[in-house]
Amino acid sequence: MEMFLYLDNDTFLHRLDPRTKMLVMLATFVVALMFYSLNTLLILSAVVLIYGLVGKTLSNLKRIRFILLMIFLFSVVLWSLTYGGEPKLLGPISLEGILYGIVIGIKFDIMIIAGMIFLSSTKVEEISLGLVKIKVPYRGAFAFATAIRMVPMIVATSYTISQAQRSRGLDLDSGNLVERAKKYIPLLIPTIISVIRGTNVFAMALESKGFGYSEDRTNYLQISIKKGDLLVIFMALVVIAISVYYRFII
Amino acid sequence: MSKENMIELRNLSFQYKDQKDGKALEKVNLTISKGEFVLVMGPSGAGKSTMAKCLNGLVPHFNRGEYSGEVIVNGFVVKDTPVSTMAKEIGLVFQDFESQLFSTNTKLEIAFGPENFQVPRDEIHSRILEMFDLVDLHGMENRQPSTLSGGQKQRLAIGSILSTYPKIVCMDEPTTDLDPLGKIGIFNIANKLHAAEDVTLIIIEHETEESLNADRLILMQEGKIILDGKPSDVLREVELMADLGIMPLQIPKYFLENFGTSKTELPLMPEEGIAKFKELGASLDEQQHQSLIQMDMDREKAYGDVLIEVSGLEHIYPNGNKALAGIDFSVRDGEFVALLGHNGSGKTTMVKHFNGLLMPTAGKVMVKGQNTKETSIFEVGQHVGYVFQNPDHQIFSDTVYEEVAFSPKIRGCDQEEIDIRVKEALAAVGMSGTEEEDPFSMTKGERQRIAVASVLSARPDVIILDEPTTGLDYREQRQMMELVKKLNRNGHTIIMITHTMWVVSEYAHKVAVIKDGKMMMYGTTREVFSHDEELAKSFLKTPDIVHMSNLLGKTVLSVDELKQCTKGV
Repeated sequence: MEMFLYLDNDTFLHRLDPRTKMLVMLATFVVALMFYSLNTLLILSAVVLIYGLVGKTLSNLKRIRFILLMIFLFSVVLWSLTYGGEPKLLGPISLEGILYGIVIGIKFDIMIIAGMIFLSSTKVEEISLGLVKIKVPYRGAFAFATAIRMVPMIVATSYTISQAQRSRGLDLDSGNLVERAKKYIPLLIPTIISVIRGTNVFAMALESKGFGYSEDRTNYLQISIKKGDLLVIFMALVVIAISVYYRFII
Repeated sequence: MSKENMIELRNLSFQYKDQKDGKALEKVNLTISKGEFVLVMGPSGAGKSTMAKCLNGLVPHFNRGEYSGEVIVNGFVVKDTPVSTMAKEIGLVFQDFESQLFSTNTKLEIAFGPENFQVPRDEIHSRILEMFDLVDLHGMENRQPSTLSGGQKQRLAIGSILSTYPKIVCMDEPTTDLDPLGKIGIFNIANKLHAAEDVTLIIIEHETEESLNADRLILMQEGKIILDGKPSDVLREVELMADLGIMPLQIPKYFLENFGTSKTELPLMPEEGIAKFKELGASLDEQQHQSLIQMDMDREKAYGDVLIEVSGLEHIYPNGNKALAGIDFSVRDGEFVALLGHNGSGKTTMVKHFNGLLMPTAGKVMVKGQNTKETSIFEVGQHVGYVFQNPDHQIFSDTVYEEVAFSPKIRGCDQEEIDIRVKEALAAVGMSGTEEEDPFSMTKGERQRIAVASVLSARPDVIILDEPTTGLDYREQRQMMELVKKLNRNGHTIIMITHTMWVVSEYAHKVAVIKDGKMMMYGTTREVFSHDEELAKSFLKTPDIVHMSNLLGKTVLSVDELKQCTKGV
């Protein structure tokens, strides 16, 4: 099973500076959070997907397609039922409600997709180095990067554990909601314990490799703002500026 | 060799904060000089790992507790020095390689240590190249550590420590979780490091057979050093080793028990054994050997119906990896089969088909006459129990009773039946009376037993064990295998994945060797183990006593069997 989200390709996107990619992600969030027009969000989605396509990162979306779909469906169903509005189609469901649900669904999905593209095209070390360069303390940056790294490890462990418990007769697919929730206990407890044991060794290994020896450290990996970065940064800033202008000034 | 002291332990005692009984280390005195290669052995809980952690300061800085005495490493008083500073002097490698690696690619993993010590970037680059050479990872320069095999991961972990150029390297059971091929890789690195005279090397190991290369062998028990000497001398202390719970070498054990050979004369290796055997004028008794073969044949005839039948089994993982390439195999009632092969050979993939965890992508698997494709894992699970390698991947309850009762409860047994089954399962694993205890506070060997009991309580016909002896010390391994043997005698069919060859030779009835998704060898243990050379192609090495008997022309499987077949003197 693939543990990391990072896809090791050599594309324009991968070569961009992590700071640039963080800014692009920020720009995506700004636009997604500020606008409620379906057209604007669809254009944003198209731009983000093309951006992801450049980095050949879209294959990673397959891994979270279920989550994306569920968020979208929940949003549509929930808002259709609760939004009110006109014209009524069936019971409390209105066209406005459905549209609003779609807009909110896209908002969330596109932010998740933007985050996924960032993680798929940026090494964990680049993220922490990028954070250090924007003046986040190294320990903080490393902790953040480690948290990202931990997620796939936990998923891999829980996969083994679920196999072990299913072999003992655990059947997660039957019973009502409360019964099902209870059934996750045999999965949760061993996962938590394994992760705690693992992080303990991890902490010892870090110290044994001289982590925290001095405030300064060499960075074998080098990042720098290049021409391509400047172009992308410029575009992202323009997008943010225009968004703010339209939203707050006009 | 210079007599410069690299490591000095003076009256070192340590008790962990939450440790109730006794001390992890008790008044240990030890001196290791520059360039020495020291091997440390001892049963679980002997204090070996604690000692290793005392060397770089993880004890007492990371693991706290009551500390007295002094540790001086290359002039530094460890107690007063931060771990990150000690890291420059001594590199520590752990058993759990998964948790030691955290970088996106192998180069960055190796760069991490030197980065912390502010080594210039160009220098780091040349060290990376040097490390790939030293730990033999050519062509892996840009791989993600998670895509490497276990052996490669551990070699990378060692490389990531060596790149800081520590003067002392200490490895805490580096080979325990590795397959035979992986172990060879680690021993190769150890020998290279030893050849570089200025590196002091300390390895904590279970593998007795590789210890002859070391300069010193230290035996520990209950926080104390029991014996410290040249490996060839220490290894001749057969009885002492057995008492401590360390596996003695088989060849000296045989000569001591059979001929009463004096300590100084004991041969250690199979070739030496042959010479001694001839010198003593001994020979192998044809009749006794025939009776062993007859017993194998009788056992073969006594097996019952076919329980698991596999035909043309293929499995291709979603990522396109072909793990199994057409396997035909059957297991009859009452058999005890061992599956051998290095990691990634497909053994685990194969057995996961037997209880329905995986479905064939081609071919079919029949369990008790039922195609696994037409039934569920819940149903197959009643016939086939699966004990996973790591007991901590399945234990979740506060009490042993709850843990063992889980399976019968979920299968709808009433309270009375559950009580009976829990009692029966705990009795079978020798853990009666522990019902109210907390499984998490038990030793690994005990947790492994609870895991077996929790599978037994479903009363399966077949029990699959995935590396049941890994991470256990010799005494615990013996206890575990005696338990498995008893289960087999009581009518359970056993399928066991393992890398431990003596376990196979002494306990398994039959052996299947898997390589690259194909079955390379299959037959009775005696048959398969008579082919030393063919086994070597799958990086498998027969235990010393089997190897020696093969050289003598007749295959025996244990020291006791060889004693039975020895004639003369």
